[in-house]
Amino acid sequence: MPLRTQLHGFHVKNGQMVDFAGFELPIWYKGIVPECKAVRDSVGIFDVSHMGRCLISGKDASTFLDYITTNDVSALEAGRGHYSVMCNENGGIIDDIVVCRITESQYLMVFNAGNREKDIVWQNKNAKRFDVEIRHVSDEVSMFAVQGPNAGAILKEICGEDLSQIHRFGGKQIHVDKIDAIVTRTGYTGEDGFEIFTMDSSIEQPSKAVTVWNTILDGGSKHGIQPCGLGARDVLRLEAGMCLYGNDIDESVTPIQARLSFVVKLTKAQFLGRDVLAKEKAEGAKKARVGLKALEPGIPREKCEILKNSEVIGNVTSGTFSPTINRGIAMGYVPKEYSKTGENLTIRVRNRNLRVEVTGFPFYDTSRYGWQRTQK
Amino acid sequence: MNDYEVPEELYYTKEHEWVKVEGKVCRIGVTDYAQRSLHEIVFVDLPKVGAKVNQSQSLGSVESVKAVADVFAPISGEVQETNVKLADAPELVNQQPYGDGWIVVIKPFNLEAELKDLLDARAYADFLKTQVK
Repeated sequence: MPLRTQLHGFHVKNGQMVDFAGFELPIWYKGIVPECKAVRDSVGIFDVSHMGRCLISGKDASTFLDYITTNDVSALEAGRGHYSVMCNENGGIIDDIVVCRITESQYLMVFNAGNREKDIVWQNKNAKRFDVEIRHVSDEVSMFAVQGPNAGAILKEICGEDLSQIHRFGGKQIHVDKIDAIVTRTGYTGEDGFEIFTMDSSIEQPSKAVTVWNTILDGGSKHGIQPCGLGARDVLRLEAGMCLYGNDIDESVTPIQARLSFVVKLTKAQFLGRDVLAKEKAEGAKKARVGLKALEPGIPREKCEILKNSEVIGNVTSGTFSPTINRGIAMGYVPKEYSKTGENLTIRVRNRNLRVEVTGFPFYDTSRYGWQRTQK
Repeated sequence: MNDYEVPEELYYTKEHEWVKVEGKVCRIGVTDYAQRSLHEIVFVDLPKVGAKVNQSQSLGSVESVKAVADVFAPISGEVQETNVKLADAPELVNQQPYGDGWIVVIKPFNLEAELKDLLDARAYADFLKTQVK
């Protein structure tokens, strides 16, 4: 019996439902292509309540988080956050996460839906010697992502606060229609955007979540806000070069190999996986995650072989069609020597050889799309 | 109840291809049911002109963002023409699956015999009723 989120009724009425990580969710409402366009041009809203959420507090909250994650938690002031990973003792990635210090004494951690149980077990196992309280709120707090250049404008209207001063990955407590919520400046699309956590909104009593969702839809209607499903979510994150746990990262790769070195802070004296990661950072990883852009029509798919001059050198871990650049795009791992931007490779797509080149991330032109865009 | 378009004069396969006999050649595409199931088609992989195909062999594919669907040759023959408009406008398959969204024209090797393997409009419509969506 698949699980449901607080907005299940809305999704069933308006969307095409699928099973994802044990949850019944919409893959699209109108379609992947118009939904991606809405996010890049204006604004879209996603129900991402299937993800895992916990609140961490206590005397050792910061030191505990610094032990189980690779990024520097002690450097976070109240209201600031960052992207991070949790590694095992071999440097393999347990999960990729966002950590936000919501208040002086409380941290919010968001993790992947597919790893809900694994991460809880992992946290509890490693928390034993720390004076820390971990509250799992996935089932009582809903989560929506509002993404696109107009996300801030809409949220400013509905919560009465200018959120533009919140740093990327930062967060704070707000109110929507007197409903308690937390907002973080995070997202999985590459666009500016926010994720809103509606407190006290369980699956059994979802009314606060439903109110917040509808308030955002109403407030965003003049900006053409679109509800967006998992299909658009997957295309947007891949266009932005962001990893999907289970496809692009898992326990068999390290953050160094995954080109996530920026979240590995060796300034920290001790954390799970440090020894292996320090060695790899110093010596250089033997393989690397790369972006691959098709040079001709064709769509690379997960598991397709990547070739250099007829020799198989790796596999595609994520592949799709990008409506933003109108080309097939993919991610995969190749040996270090083939990972430079511009390297010409081919991807075997069924019985064709699709010519591709190695690119950086994101795949789109950052002057036109993305949170750093300069053009209107 | 979904009402899928099933033109009377065409022949069909259970893999949701249609065949239109046009004198000595056959025009081939995918059905309304196929395009609706796939949703937004963003790429069509066409065979080369001159390629020879056997009945039921894959002659290319129709792809949405998330899914790939093989187009199986309803009859054996030689590819005479491919719909090059689909390179810039793959969405024609969604918009006009029986019209401008056609995929290939084949010169059949054995039409009379192989037509017997295909479904007429009535049989295909009945078959669609058994497809649970």
